[in-house]
Amino acid sequence: MKAAPEMRDLAHRLLTYEAGAGKSFEPMGSPTLCVYEKLRKSLCEFVGVAGFQSLATRALTLARSEVVSLSAARVTADGSIQGLGEIETQIDMDKDRAGDGGDILIARLLGLLRIFIGEALTLSLLRSAWPGEVFDDRNSENGRKA
Amino acid sequence: MSTQDKVKINKLPTGVPGLDEIVGGGLPEFSFNIIAGAPGSGKTTLAHQFVFANATAERPALYFTVLGESAIKMLRYQQQYTFFDPAKLPDAIRFINLSQAVLEKDLGAVLEGIIKEVEKTNPAVVVVDSFRTMVRKPQSDMELQSFIQRLALFLASWQATTFLIGEYAEDELRDNPIFTVADGLFWLRQTPERNSIVRKLQIIKLRGQDSVPGLHTFRITDAGVQAFSRTFGLTGHLKDPPSHRRLCFGIPELDKMLGGGVREGDSVLVAGSSGTGKSVLATQFIAEGIRNGEPGIVAVFEERPQAYAERASTLGLDLETPQKDGKLTILYLRPLDLSVDETMHSILDAVQKIGAKRLVIDSLAGFEMALSPGFRADFRESLYRMIFALTGIGVTILSTVEVDESFTEFPFSTYSISFLTDDIVRLRYVSIDGQLRKIMVVIKMRGGNHAKDIREYEITNKGVVILGKRLTDYQGLISGIPVHSDGSGSKEEPSMDTGIGQST
Repeated sequence: MKAAPEMRDLAHRLLTYEAGAGKSFEPMGSPTLCVYEKLRKSLCEFVGVAGFQSLATRALTLARSEVVSLSAARVTADGSIQGLGEIETQIDMDKDRAGDGGDILIARLLGLLRIFIGEALTLSLLRSAWPGEVFDDRNSENGRKA
Repeated sequence: MSTQDKVKINKLPTGVPGLDEIVGGGLPEFSFNIIAGAPGSGKTTLAHQFVFANATAERPALYFTVLGESAIKMLRYQQQYTFFDPAKLPDAIRFINLSQAVLEKDLGAVLEGIIKEVEKTNPAVVVVDSFRTMVRKPQSDMELQSFIQRLALFLASWQATTFLIGEYAEDELRDNPIFTVADGLFWLRQTPERNSIVRKLQIIKLRGQDSVPGLHTFRITDAGVQAFSRTFGLTGHLKDPPSHRRLCFGIPELDKMLGGGVREGDSVLVAGSSGTGKSVLATQFIAEGIRNGEPGIVAVFEERPQAYAERASTLGLDLETPQKDGKLTILYLRPLDLSVDETMHSILDAVQKIGAKRLVIDSLAGFEMALSPGFRADFRESLYRMIFALTGIGVTILSTVEVDESFTEFPFSTYSISFLTDDIVRLRYVSIDGQLRKIMVVIKMRGGNHAKDIREYEITNKGVVILGKRLTDYQGLISGIPVHSDGSGSKEEPSMDTGIGQST
């Protein structure tokens, strides 16, 4: 089963925002890592490190079923992700798959949150880490409601 | 110290229907409270209701989760309750997980973590769930006491109202320092009683104000915890002055026997064996009230409201229209695990909603059966509280009670509750001239004189109809086996009972 389109759309918005938000992601290495780290920080406070680590590991496992190259990535004990930067560089070189790995990993993580606590609370949590306009439908590429 | 010199303690809404009454008007602001009880007793739900009722973006709530239920699962379940407002997250309500600090560090570090968040957020409400897991690690008594003392001092200084949630057993009450420090101690229990589960809440301690003592039943529904105060929400309500108005049954001969009707605000008991017409009489009492512009409530336990209304229609009494017009409520109270307090809550709600003046409880036996087994043991005491509370607000109550027919006794009730009632009307069968007939007698009326006559009656398609004059030709009528005064035999032709309204 693939990541839900609306979760991919939401993930894409977050990635697009980080990519467009100046050079803020540069120390991290990629917009995906930047989004992931913001989620980690926000969710660790909420569910604890162990809670986030479990969710992230599950999300990575699900994402691997769609993007094989993510099999090299792993979630560490503190919930951070390793090996994603190298994979994204590799994926970028393949123009047909550009950005998919990051989109799908984030979409899977958001999808898990939605499954457990519902869309309203998921968006509430995201709003504490990103500005409101990111979730505005007018900014959505395909107009889908997140 | 005069009243104006005393510091005013603000009372915060608990967000739990019925609980404000129990705690004396609301929870004292800046108090340091414990919610204790076994797993599944409703502690987290109660805390959430308080948080959602009080948290604002300006003065938010900090909800610290520790070990135990994860925040994700907690929110997954808690959002099913109607009080849960997702818009309050994350600005007004913030969840913070402390499990790592608890697992990897000492209590000092945990306290530092809490202090850091509180100073950053300036919360009005702080919850630690579960506090018990936080202090379970081995540590000296002094270390634990110091931690609790510092935590309580800090949170009070920061003007936060605090709840610590813990799975405590009652035998821990004596030695645990947390209970000494706490301003408020809420104990939640759920106990099986045969096949029913009864939930009870006790305010063991609440500094600064009077709470209602005792065990209060509560229920957890999709609206969260709902508490039922033993004072039925009537604390502070002044008893209505006694009324001299008389309420009729609409049965002229009976009303005459009652000296013009029962006194408003009385508790009336209609006692008789099966088929004597207790429910018919009760239905006529309610219908007459509606005719006179007095809204009514019928609490039924043995049949559904529709069936009750249909049976009334066979007596020519329309109970459908007044229900539609908001003049009558027929309450069907869910059987098997009710508490009297919960029943009272439903009745009081209905009384307030339609301004009811008359209430029929049909029947006390059905009411008793609808209660959880544990409450049946207290039925008499509960009835006393209920009748006192309802008549105190001016409602006239008519209860029906079935009594076993005996030819050696003349009982009024199986519950020994006649002292609770102002008026008693007794119905019974008598064997007269080879027929099983029915007689009625007014046993007592606290509010005045009443006829001493023993009257024969029938149940017809017009309801209870009293026949002729009082029965003067027989001795020993109340024994059920009277003797004709002149010793003669039957002089009458056989007659047929219409059979209407025999289900009582």
